[in-house]
Amino acid sequence: MSGHNDPKGEQAGARHPNYKQIYFVLLGLLVVSVLGPEFGIGWVTLITAFGIALVKANLVLQNFMHLRWEKRIMKWMLSTSVVLMFLLFAGVAPDVMKHEGSGWINDAALAATARGIGAPHHDVEAAATAEHAVGGVEGEAAVAEAPVEQAFDAKGAYGTVCTTCHGPSGAGDGPGAAALNPKPANFADAAFWASRTDAHLVKVIREGGASVGKSALMPAWGGLYNEAQAKALVAYIKTFKK
Amino acid sequence: MQKPIATTRSATGIPTGRLAIWWVLASEVVIFGGLLASYLMFRLGHPEWANAAAVTNTYIGAFNTFVLLTSSFTAVLAHQAAENGDGKLAAKYLTMTIAGALIFLVVKGFEWSYKISHGYTITSNGFWSFYYTAAGLHAAHVIAGAVIMAFIAADAAKGRELHRVELIGIYWHFVDVVWIFLFPLLYIAK
Repeated sequence: MSGHNDPKGEQAGARHPNYKQIYFVLLGLLVVSVLGPEFGIGWVTLITAFGIALVKANLVLQNFMHLRWEKRIMKWMLSTSVVLMFLLFAGVAPDVMKHEGSGWINDAALAATARGIGAPHHDVEAAATAEHAVGGVEGEAAVAEAPVEQAFDAKGAYGTVCTTCHGPSGAGDGPGAAALNPKPANFADAAFWASRTDAHLVKVIREGGASVGKSALMPAWGGLYNEAQAKALVAYIKTFKK
Repeated sequence: MQKPIATTRSATGIPTGRLAIWWVLASEVVIFGGLLASYLMFRLGHPEWANAAAVTNTYIGAFNTFVLLTSSFTAVLAHQAAENGDGKLAAKYLTMTIAGALIFLVVKGFEWSYKISHGYTITSNGFWSFYYTAAGLHAAHVIAGAVIMAFIAADAAKGRELHRVELIGIYWHFVDVVWIFLFPLLYIAK
């Protein structure tokens, strides 16, 4: 690979590194990137996945695409494109990656995060059960893929979904509350409990505040929690009552 | 046939065809780069996407990476053959590259139909939207590359337009590079 020092570089295509050697290095790197997650350590996977992707891309770019022997203007042109990509990321990412800040809250994103990736998984489970019943081989594969159903953790759900506005102690003082008008309900307030039944609260949780003539800022969580889970949530928020 | 003047002259010192292909790729970097950067920021902002990412099969992704790396290898061998003036050999290597493209697409086809039949479609949620859009846009590039390569291979076999072998090769390696990034983004990071 002595072509590296070629001052003119006009014959970009005329340089031939040892392609076979580079190909085998690429395959070796591929194996490492697949084995990386086997260790189960986050930062190792990060390096074996994305670090190696960068190395592989660079090997292809320099040797197969002959960029290392190409005119400098080409490198500048490609670099400009890459810089533009990073500019886009830097400019937009803060709004997309954060779901709340001082004076603003992205309800839809928070709700999506709390709701998780629900629907298709449920479909898969239902389909898998049906296929399983008739002994379908595909059904068994899908069963293995479907997540294990876990006991409902009302406290955990409250922490993920409700805390943002209703606050960790249920006093309606979560970080999201500042931006809301009317303010979120205060579960510590005895008066709140005096005027509401469990069934009413289950309805609010599942169908949203607007369903009972209250604030539409309280989203409907029916897609996330079924009747029994909403009841468990009501039981949990009752523990905030003073 | 008399060549138009543009193919014989170049202000940059880079052959016009190669300048053009690099220009295309610089635009492609913005297209794929914008898409992947958007995917990345949404993925980082939505930890729940991990549940969906867990459904993708790393080994299928790895196999397709292997196929594309191999097809890049044969593409660069075609380039080498074309430079040695051996059009027939170049055509042979290009045909192998096209075969790689077809294998890649067939694997992708099975993968997608399995996923779609299990309820994971482009409208399921954000993760699957990105999954099908990014991989779909990439697959469209694979198809376009394979078709163009077939024309170039037919010419090369007759010893014509051998410089185009390098040009389609540069494009093909880029398609490979895009997949090199898509693979960890969609298949490894769970």
